[in-house]
Amino acid sequence: MKKMIWLTTLSVLFVVFLVPAILAMTLKMVPAGDQPGYNSDQRLSIYGKRGVSQEFVSKEKNLTAIGTSIRNLNLKNKKEIILSLYDENNKLIRTSVLNGQNIQDGDFVKFVFEPIPDSLNKIYSFTIFSPEAGPEETIEVFYINSPTDSILEFTYDEKTHPGGLPIVIFHKPQSKWEVVWKVYSNWFSRLLRLTSG
Amino acid sequence: MKKLLVLAIVLRILVAGLLFHPDIKTYNYQASFLKKGVFNIYTYLVQNNKMLPIKDDFVYFPLTYFVLGGYQAAISPIFGNGLDSWLANAGSNSVVNDPNIFKYLIALKLPYLVLDIAIAFLLKRFFDDQEKAKKAFILWLFNPFTIFLVYAFSNVDIFAVLLTVIAFLLLKKEKLILASVALGIAAGFKLYPLLFIPFLFIKGKDLKEKVFIVLIPAIILGIIVVPFWSQDFVQSALISGLTTRIFNPGFSIGFGESMIVGLFSISILFFYALLVDKKPKLFNYWVVLLIFIFAFSHFHIAWLLWIAPFIVILAVKKPALSLSLFFLTALAFVIPILYDDRSMTISLFRVYSTWYDLISTPFAIVQKFYDPYNLQSVLHSILAGGSLVIGYKLLSKEEEK
Repeated sequence: MKKMIWLTTLSVLFVVFLVPAILAMTLKMVPAGDQPGYNSDQRLSIYGKRGVSQEFVSKEKNLTAIGTSIRNLNLKNKKEIILSLYDENNKLIRTSVLNGQNIQDGDFVKFVFEPIPDSLNKIYSFTIFSPEAGPEETIEVFYINSPTDSILEFTYDEKTHPGGLPIVIFHKPQSKWEVVWKVYSNWFSRLLRLTSG
Repeated sequence: MKKLLVLAIVLRILVAGLLFHPDIKTYNYQASFLKKGVFNIYTYLVQNNKMLPIKDDFVYFPLTYFVLGGYQAAISPIFGNGLDSWLANAGSNSVVNDPNIFKYLIALKLPYLVLDIAIAFLLKRFFDDQEKAKKAFILWLFNPFTIFLVYAFSNVDIFAVLLTVIAFLLLKKEKLILASVALGIAAGFKLYPLLFIPFLFIKGKDLKEKVFIVLIPAIILGIIVVPFWSQDFVQSALISGLTTRIFNPGFSIGFGESMIVGLFSISILFFYALLVDKKPKLFNYWVVLLIFIFAFSHFHIAWLLWIAPFIVILAVKKPALSLSLFFLTALAFVIPILYDDRSMTISLFRVYSTWYDLISTPFAIVQKFYDPYNLQSVLHSILAGGSLVIGYKLLSKEEEK
């Protein structure tokens, strides 16, 4: 019985205190924030030469991915979907390609690329195209009308509007311990707010 | 013993407050309508579906609604509107980032703690030998399975489980009618205890008692269910995937007919008890029946709680089986963890950080190397084989000698 008591006690302590750290150590990138809420009726079609471009600010170092939600109704688009990332001088610095056949309708997808070390507080722009797709292979992205602290403006059909795709910007952490620290400190701060509140 | 009990409670509160399965929020949101005066939750949810932030059906039986709703009404003065707002919040991230989530989870899981500890004390009463009684008590409180089954997966089945334990205690005292009453009430939470009624029927001393044994649970269930009987209730709770999964067809026998493996095995068990076994021991039949369910159906992890108290009794009664029982239980625990369902694993830790949404599930990790469905099948086959042997040992007369 003593063995079972020890096994159970250690199992519980391991799961509630150590597993979160182990999970945190497996994270290769972390989001800079939550995805902004969006109206699912506000969508932009992308196919052929019809694409979208958007400006945003990276709030962290080591920018490594841009995520957004994409509609691919009935998996009609099985072609390449290309995100091209440009710096402030409009110089192409990264490209990331996804295939439509891997994108379920409404999926939140991440365009991942090599980290950009000095991305902190810099303005970038990206374009999303599916150049080989015809009108019947249209994908759709959502957009928001008002800018946020990182989403600035977007261009569609040669017109520029405030706001843009509801994106999440991901960055590569400096170290695994940094992630563990952030997870636990955030968790503890909420626990402390609970006791003080 | 007191120190052990305190330790057991502390461990349970840790898991209750820190691990979050979204089901607890969904069914408690639905149960919160009781204090607003909603009686028929099934129809209410269907009729108001468009205006509700959480649109799931209420898949449980009526007693679950009334017990959880009643409990919420009792604790709502303590939490005010905060708990209601949290329950109605459909935001995936804001729900887990709410600093009050820890106290909400503990408060909502508190009834489970009471029932869980009650089961520990009831298990003692299955044994006349004090040493064995203490062993069962400790084994229930200190095994790594039930703590996670109840508190991580927010297992509302514990209401029915407690009642089945009570039914077997009554059965031990030869109070068959009262046992059937307990099973009838248990069925008001979850239907599975009704599977045992045919076996209780066999045990009836005369025709009158046999008829009572069958009629009483049916009448109790009828009283509980009839006020809600509607298309909405039937679709939401009665024929929901979880209720009927035990009876999913197994394999085709041609011309559109299928052999329902779960039902087939329960039928074998019943007719064996009726026609072959001269002195059927109902406890063993109940354990074997549940073993068959886990051996031959795509079970939900919460179902494992149904058998847990009886496995504890079995492990104390037959220590020689305890290692095999531990191994098979661990196997049964691993299989659902491999399902393509985030809430079985990674999502449980979202209270710590929503960043974990980026982590692959065990299903996705296995998929990189091997077909995860095949791995589930391999493990399930081993579980089925081992379970059948345990079942054979329990029913074989040689074992009893």
